[in-house]
Amino acid sequence: MEKNIHAATDQDEPIIIAEHLVKIFPGSVPALNDFSVQVKRGEVLVVVGPSGSGKSTFLRCLNGLEMIDSGRIVIDSIPLDANEKNRLAIRREVGMVFQSFNLFPHLSVLENVNLAQCLVRSKSKKEATRATEELLAKVGLSDKIGGYPDELSGGQQQRVAIARALALRPKVMLFDEATSALDPEMIGEVLDVMRTLAEEGMTMVVVTHEMGFAREVSDRVVFMEAGRIVEAAATRQFFLHPAQERTRDFLRQIL
Amino acid sequence: MSLRFPSFSSIRDSSLFVLTLAGVGWLVLRGGEQLGYNWHWRQIPRYLFTYTDGQFIPGPLLQGLMVTLEITAVSLVFAACIGLVTALLRLSNSTVGRWLARVYLEVIRNTPLLVQIFFLYFVMAPIFDIGRTATAILALSLFEGAYASEIFRAGIQSIHRGQWEASHSLGLSRYQAYRWIILPQAVRRILPPLTSQAVSLIKDSALVSTIAVYDLTMAGRVIIAETFLTFELWFTVAAIYLLLTLTLSALANALERRFPRIT
Ligand SMILES: Nc1ncnc2c1ncn2[C@@H]1O[C@H](COP(=O)(O)OP(=O)(O)OP(=O)(O)O)[C@@H](O)[C@H]1O
Ligand SMILES: [Mg+2]
Repeated sequence: MEKNIHAATDQDEPIIIAEHLVKIFPGSVPALNDFSVQVKRGEVLVVVGPSGSGKSTFLRCLNGLEMIDSGRIVIDSIPLDANEKNRLAIRREVGMVFQSFNLFPHLSVLENVNLAQCLVRSKSKKEATRATEELLAKVGLSDKIGGYPDELSGGQQQRVAIARALALRPKVMLFDEATSALDPEMIGEVLDVMRTLAEEGMTMVVVTHEMGFAREVSDRVVFMEAGRIVEAAATRQFFLHPAQERTRDFLRQIL
Repeated sequence: MSLRFPSFSSIRDSSLFVLTLAGVGWLVLRGGEQLGYNWHWRQIPRYLFTYTDGQFIPGPLLQGLMVTLEITAVSLVFAACIGLVTALLRLSNSTVGRWLARVYLEVIRNTPLLVQIFFLYFVMAPIFDIGRTATAILALSLFEGAYASEIFRAGIQSIHRGQWEASHSLGLSRYQAYRWIILPQAVRRILPPLTSQAVSLIKDSALVSTIAVYDLTMAGRVIIAETFLTFELWFTVAAIYLLLTLTLSALANALERRFPRIT
C-alpha cells in the first residue's frame, strides 16, 4: 500500500542522495572528501577501495552513526540533519549489518530479532515473534530461535544480524564487510542470503572484498580512495572496461 | 572448573588459615593475661539476646545490628541510584550535567567521610531540620554514591562500542539502548566491584556512631562504658561485622552465578 503511493509519486527519485559529503576526523586526513553518490530504488551498489579509503565512514554517515561535517544526505525524502526525529526516522528505514555482527549477547536469537520490532515499531510480542520466525526461516536458522549468540557460528551470527536488521522492514540495507570476519567456509551462506535479498528488490549498499559477489549481484560499483570517488560505473563496465588507470591497478591486485 | 574433592592446595591453604587464626587468638589471650585482663565471655550473650519464658528478646547489640542493617540497606539503594545517575551524567552530552557530576565527585572523594558526616549533621541538619538517622543515611549515600558512580561508569564504558552502534542502527533511542542493551550487560560486570563497595559501606557505617546514631558500634561503646568488658565486646562487634560482610559477599557470589552469559 505504502509502496504503491511511492511508486506513483517518486519511483525515479533516488532513494539515497548523498551530495558533497565531507567527514574529517580530528587530526586526520579527510575520511570523506566531497563524496557524492545516488542510489536508485532496488539498486545494489557495491563500494570498493583500499583500506582506510572511507568506505565504512560513508556507510556510517548514511545512517547517522557519524555526523558529516558538510554536505547533504537525503534518504527516502527524509533529510539526515541535526534533527533527532529525522535521524531516528532514517535509522528505522535503513538497516545495517556490521563486520563484527554486534548481536546482543545477553539476548536469545528470538529476543535479538524481536527487540527493535517491539521498541521501535511498537509491535506486540506475538506479532514480533511471528515476523521473527518468518525471517529466521528465510535466513535458514529456524532451529536456532531459542539459542544465544555465543552458541552460534560466525556465519549463523551474521545471518541472525541480517534477520534482526530486516525485522524493521527497512527500505535500504547497508552491509559493511559483512563476510570479512568469517571463516572461508561460512562466507557462502551469508552471501546467499544477501543475494536473495537483492533478487527480492532490496536497495543495498554493500562494502565488500568479494569481487565475485560484486560482479554477479551488484548493479553498479563505486571505487573510492582517500574519501573520493575514483570511478563509478555499471558493474559490467567497471570490471570489463574500467576507465581509470588507478581502477585497473586496484582490480589487478584484488582479482 | 569444579572439583569433587578439595584439592591438596586448598586443604593446605585452609589449614594454614586456621593455624594462623589460632595463633593470633592465642597471642591475644596471652597478651590479655599478661595485662591482667579477666575475660568474662559469659556475660556477652545477654547483650546479644535473652531468651526468657520462651520469649526472644534482642539485646542492645542485636538492636544496634538492626540499625546498622537498616542504615546500610537504605544507603546502598540510594548510593546505587546516585551512582547510576552521576555516571550517566558524566557520560552525557550535557556540559552542565558533566560539570555537576565532576564537582560532586571531587568534593566527596577529596574530603574525609567523618568530616562529611559532621558537616551534614552540624551544618545542614539544623538548617533543613533532618533527623539523625536520615543524616547518617544521607552522608553514607552521598559518599558511597561517588564511588559507585565510578564503578557504573567503568562498567558502562566496558561495553563494546558495537553494541551502541547496533542499537542505534536499529533506531533505538539513547534511553532504550541503555535500558535494554547497555545496562543489562554492564550490570554483570558491575556486580563484583559493587559488592566490594557495599562491604565498604557496611564498614564505613560504623562512623555514624559519632553522631550518636545507635548502630552496632554505638551499642558496643555504650555497653563498654557500663561494663568495662572492652576486649570481649570489641571482639564480638568485629565478629558481627565480619559475619555481615562475608554473608554479603557470599550472596553476591550466588547472584553472579545466576548470570551465566557474562561476556
Ligand atoms: N572514529 C574514528 N576516529 C578517527 N579516525 C577515524 C575514525 N574512523 C575512521 N577514521 C579514519 O578515517 C579514514 C577512513 O576510515 P574507514 O574506516 O572509513 O575506511 P575503510 O575504507 O572502511 O577501511 P577498511 O577497508 O580498513 O575498513 C581512515 O583514515 C581512518 O583512520
Ligand atoms: Mg571499513
